[in-house]
Amino acid sequence: MSTWANLGLQDSSSPLMEQLIFFHDHALLILVMITVLVGYLMFMLFFNKYINRFLLHGQLIEMIWTILPAIILLFIAFPSLRLLYLLDEINEPSVTLKSIGHQWYWSYEYSDFNNIEFDSYMIPTNELSNDGFRLLDVDNRIVLPMNSQIRILVTAADVIHSWTIPTLGVKVDGTPGRLNQTNFFMNRPGLFYGQCSEICGANHSFMPIVIESVPVNYFIKWISKNLNS
Amino acid sequence: MSGEREVVGYGVNGSPIYIDCVEFPFPAIRYKEATPEICALREKELSDWKKLSLQEKKTLYRYSFGQTYAEFQHFTPEWKLIVGIGLWACAIGFLISLSYCAKLYGPFPETFEEERRQAQLRRIIQLEMQPITGLSSKWDYEKNKWK
Repeated sequence: MSTWANLGLQDSSSPLMEQLIFFHDHALLILVMITVLVGYLMFMLFFNKYINRFLLHGQLIEMIWTILPAIILLFIAFPSLRLLYLLDEINEPSVTLKSIGHQWYWSYEYSDFNNIEFDSYMIPTNELSNDGFRLLDVDNRIVLPMNSQIRILVTAADVIHSWTIPTLGVKVDGTPGRLNQTNFFMNRPGLFYGQCSEICGANHSFMPIVIESVPVNYFIKWISKNLNS
Repeated sequence: MSGEREVVGYGVNGSPIYIDCVEFPFPAIRYKEATPEICALREKELSDWKKLSLQEKKTLYRYSFGQTYAEFQHFTPEWKLIVGIGLWACAIGFLISLSYCAKLYGPFPETFEEERRQAQLRRIIQLEMQPITGLSSKWDYEKNKWK
């Protein structure tokens, strides 16, 4: 979850998010270097006293400042494409979760286990406990096992919503009439928060998502408890 | 427009206009009109230059040119006015935004109270949020205090 005055990306809970953070840092470093170089050149133009009234062309420098950006772009493109294909890798998920967006709450279905279904509403600020996170805590959290591949299918019942957990690097739009599938993997236990990311009406800012990542045996206990109730 | 002044070049697309400019150093027309004194000096200029006094050299310069390089290239003081106005605008904008905080925006939600913020921080640390480079990485879990 974001903590106070968090400026950058949240710390990752997933190996893919780690790779995304590395790529982000790499690309941003290149961008900062280019910006500093161009800023320096522009600044030095202010103090330049040289004039060449008969300047017509400079073939060598034009070649250099065409080839050099192309090489810099290669340095950005190769890691980017590597990560793009890494995100699409086939793997065998152990649990499938269906997430349906409504106006203005999420409902979840675990169809692997005799249809566990529940709705997840935001806890209003005036009903929040003393240590509750405003606009983030929900009444029913999604419980999922850690260190397992999870498949999620996102859709919506009315308008387009978007299901996201920044710390896992997942953002999937839920469109009515369509199932979007993605995979993720959590490598530590805890609570992971997200908020609806597609404008969906008056309470778009008030339909958060909370995943409770637990060891596998706790997950099985939770499933059995919910099957019986 | 040129009066009696001597044309010494082609000028701007054929029109001999006087301009003081670093990029085009020699204007196409003299600055002043020819007078008998100037003509005498021009004759003297044709022989040895060491015989010309400093004042005569300056007079010959001012005959052909309106300003020296130093005169038309120095910084003007307008930047002080512009910076001053800019800083005033920033100050007034800042005061207006302060007034918004005092009047326009409502009170903070109840979760901003110190006790609730402390409780939330305790929960963030217990949940080990941002444990790699963020908040929980600064907490020493063995000694139960900040690192």
